[in-house]
Amino acid sequence: MTASTRAPARAATTTGTAWSVILVALLAVSCAAGVAIGAADLSIGTVVESIAGRLGIGRGTDLLTTHIVVDLRLPRVLAAAAIGAGLALCGAVLQSLTGNQLADPYLLGMSGGASLGAVLALTTGASAVGALGFGAVSTAAFLGALGSLLLVFLIATSRSGVLLPGRLVLAGIAVGQLAAALTSALVLFGDRDAAHRVLSWTLGSVAGVRWSGLVGILVVVAVTMTIVLAYSRVLDSFAFGERAAASLGTNVERSRWVLYAVASLCTAALVAQAGIIGFVGLVVPHAARMLVGPLHARLLPVVALMGALLLVWADIAARTVMPGRELPISIVTAIVGVPAFVWLLRRQGARA
Amino acid sequence: MTHTCMFSTSHGRRVALRTPVSHRVIASAAASLAAALTLSACGGSSNSEAATISLENCGRTVTMSGPAERGVTLNQGATETALSIGAQGQMAGTAYLDDTIAPQWQAAYAEVPALDEKDFPSREALLETKPDLVTASYSSAFDDKAVGSHESFDELGVATYVSPFGCKDRSKRPAVAWDSIATEITDYGIMFGRENEADAVVAQMRETLTGIEAAAPAKGKSIFWYDSKTTTPYVGANAGGPQLIIDAVGGTNIFAGLDGSWADGSWETVLAANPDVIVLADASWDTAEEKKNYLRGDPALRDLKAVREDAFVVLPFSTTTPGPRTIEGATLVAGQLGGDGA
Repeated sequence: MTASTRAPARAATTTGTAWSVILVALLAVSCAAGVAIGAADLSIGTVVESIAGRLGIGRGTDLLTTHIVVDLRLPRVLAAAAIGAGLALCGAVLQSLTGNQLADPYLLGMSGGASLGAVLALTTGASAVGALGFGAVSTAAFLGALGSLLLVFLIATSRSGVLLPGRLVLAGIAVGQLAAALTSALVLFGDRDAAHRVLSWTLGSVAGVRWSGLVGILVVVAVTMTIVLAYSRVLDSFAFGERAAASLGTNVERSRWVLYAVASLCTAALVAQAGIIGFVGLVVPHAARMLVGPLHARLLPVVALMGALLLVWADIAARTVMPGRELPISIVTAIVGVPAFVWLLRRQGARA
Repeated sequence: MTHTCMFSTSHGRRVALRTPVSHRVIASAAASLAAALTLSACGGSSNSEAATISLENCGRTVTMSGPAERGVTLNQGATETALSIGAQGQMAGTAYLDDTIAPQWQAAYAEVPALDEKDFPSREALLETKPDLVTASYSSAFDDKAVGSHESFDELGVATYVSPFGCKDRSKRPAVAWDSIATEITDYGIMFGRENEADAVVAQMRETLTGIEAAAPAKGKSIFWYDSKTTTPYVGANAGGPQLIIDAVGGTNIFAGLDGSWADGSWETVLAANPDVIVLADASWDTAEEKKNYLRGDPALRDLKAVREDAFVVLPFSTTTPGPRTIEGATLVAGQLGGDGA
């Protein structure tokens, strides 16, 4: 670190911590709201009673009310928080790694690969072959994402095993396009219902997450968080550019592989559970940088918290805007997130 | 093409021009004009261009100089409607099935060449059959990318007809009701000159309906109509085939608050309502068995009363869309409920 970056870093420490505390408090309140609000009209008292009842404290509520609160709402709220955090983290990491402001978690052809996998499962009706307790569609989406990832890395690695970042992004675009074309073909030749199912999968939702799936999501996001935080210094040096990173003694090649692999595997796992949720991974890192600056040790926790907060509220909106029916969460993240982002951009512009 | 005074189809049945259902809109002026022309055609026995068949369809007027002799039906619904009135002898082709033709019409279906079972035929393949009438369930059939616009068929003198439930202009679509189903069947009767058969199909439908409504096997029961999907259930809403069948059997739809034929519902609503009966649509792309397994396996849903008591009703998806098979759907639901309640 040079002296010129240390001073702002210290200033960012306080704002970073302050923001983290505020965001944690907000997230706690939001999760509580997420469990209390829903299609079924339940009072706060009933909600608390059902959770207490499941934990063996107090009388509890009737079985179905308990199911609504404990088995439908609680896992989806926690999943929204974890997925929001995970996607935002992956977006931030990939933006720093590639030096590309438009990078998002699906950069490396992930959304195309995951869609192709999901659509294959949806159109061939291969419903029987779920794995690891996940449904067939989730499993296929995960495998599709991994497949496209592998292909992208193969294209972007030189014969001597060096990852070429410039080629990586282009390979991601190429593989994504190929997968999209194959997906379209499958939808077109699929049965009457195919287009509708594929579209609603593609638009993403956390409505289907139950406790079994949530455990996986929490583990993946926690592991990702731990690893990328450990690499926050390295990410700082990447943000200065490749040469700076190398001259600062960072083992560029190894770090890059680890970070790409972690961000991509995390995204693949999340996409398998919730479909493609746009906007969070692209925009939250930018918003967080406006709040606490670019140093990753401060930035990443704020990124994760903001991502979690955004998705918890997006999910609440998704199930309450139209009473009795659910909206795809991607539509909500875009409708809520884009104006917020524009406002942040303009505010920053006014300050500069 | 000359017409004799008494029009007759290839089957020798008399064709009359009339208004089959009171709410049908046939401009009376057009009707009397057509009648006058018909009369003059009789008197002069000339090669008149007189429109002898004229009916209103999705805001267009379908005119034909006589009953169809080489009709082509696109989409399964259109094909089944034509077969329900025994029009197979007057059909030159069919195309685009959703799943399989109902067993009672399979023999008739086999008599007609299938141009393309999985998709719309190309315009060329369609015209090669030299059709005099092309009917479809959905207006998308008459997109330029499908078989071509209505106008392009008008120019060739080929009549075109779209199911009223599939009108491109949604404001022209009738409410899904037994009357509007009857209207479509009657339209087919007119276009194929098989009005007696159409009347018989409609009469049979109404008789069956009266019986089901009188028995009301779902009286006092709440029904969850589960069409497809798992993350968010795709459910029968308040204005389509599902609601029509639920009304016929006297039940209440737990998603009566959602507008449309089908809609994305939510599992919370299902749990809160705890329905007495779950109706499962059985389709090749989403079978009833898959839905049962999902309900029984989900930690939250398996405690629903209907899941525990196995109060499932299964019916083929094709009987849940408005058409000649809808009454079969109502019969199936009534039958399975009757077994339960007894």
